[in-house]
Amino acid sequence: MAVNKNMRILVVDDFLTMRRIIINLLRQLGFNNVVEAADGKQALDKVHEEEIDLIVSDWNMPNMTGIEFLKHVRADEKTKAIPFIMVTAEGKKENVIAAVHAGVSNYIVKPFNAATLKEKMSKVIGEF
Amino acid sequence: MSENGMKLLQDQLNALEDNIKGDTVPAEDVRAFVALVKQFFGGHFEQTAKDGEAFDPRLYGELGELAKFINAARHEFADVSPGMLQEEQLPEASDQLDEIVKTTEAATHKIMDSCEQLQGVNQRIRDRMMTIDPPLDPDVAMSIEDALNEGDTHVTNIYEACNFQDITGQRIQKIIKVLREIERQVFRMVIVFGLRNKGEALEEKDRTALAETEAALLNGPQKTGEGLDQDDVDDILAKLL
Repeated sequence: MAVNKNMRILVVDDFLTMRRIIINLLRQLGFNNVVEAADGKQALDKVHEEEIDLIVSDWNMPNMTGIEFLKHVRADEKTKAIPFIMVTAEGKKENVIAAVHAGVSNYIVKPFNAATLKEKMSKVIGEF
Repeated sequence: MSENGMKLLQDQLNALEDNIKGDTVPAEDVRAFVALVKQFFGGHFEQTAKDGEAFDPRLYGELGELAKFINAARHEFADVSPGMLQEEQLPEASDQLDEIVKTTEAATHKIMDSCEQLQGVNQRIRDRMMTIDPPLDPDVAMSIEDALNEGDTHVTNIYEACNFQDITGQRIQKIIKVLREIERQVFRMVIVFGLRNKGEALEEKDRTALAETEAALLNGPQKTGEGLDQDDVDDILAKLL
């Protein structure tokens, strides 16, 4: 089934620069329907306020970290099925395992490029 | 504690229990017991020395050496002007690093602004090509489209390269945290060694520094060649997902 490029993607990162990079890379890949949040708390509000089809979230954030946000998303019946890609600068095995146990759909190590983002998204939402 | 001392205390405690009347204990009995405890602990070193028990006179010598060492360290520490280090040099170093983060962040946003402008220009050219009348020769149109696509690829490369700001920003923040911790420890030593009398400020400053230290959630970007790269992470995911 063809991927709906109008899907709503939530980009979560406390660094505005990083949000802009991801949003622009998504735009390059043909995804323009993007909302953003600066931490897990804001992001949690977004997933409750709006229909979100995919989450791309940083791990290391103030207020609520990416892993805590992921756990909240997975714990809620309404949001638990949303595909969730974790993006982090820290590639430690225990973190990857913790993310998998928390229900992450895929995991990207920073710095990354558009090809990696496309590949990981394809694994989660299907080829595009 | 000597056996005699222990027996004396136990006897007095037993007498105290025996004298309990209802919910009260005679005040003179309590006073006698407290006096005995004070006497016992006050004379503990002397008593144990007399008894030939565990007390080791070398302890005094070692404590003396330790006192000399601390005193020497205090003088050496005073020579490096800890006040200036803690009040000026370390905060200045942190501020400078903070400025680097802000400057590179601003520059990165400017680069991305220009990239977005370039993408807009490319799109306008595409839109214009669609409306040219008579239409462009297909080969010409194709070569222009190829050139525009190549331009878009370079813009994407620039976005990807902007990752550096996030990574360097996180690394520098990590260094700033270390500097602030050093600043906090130097301040503590200044107070402990009595080199400056600003004890009141210590608590608030300590709390702030401690909170910042504890706020470090993960350790930040891994060093080149350390930690897992994307392929390693993919291997783990392949096994777990």
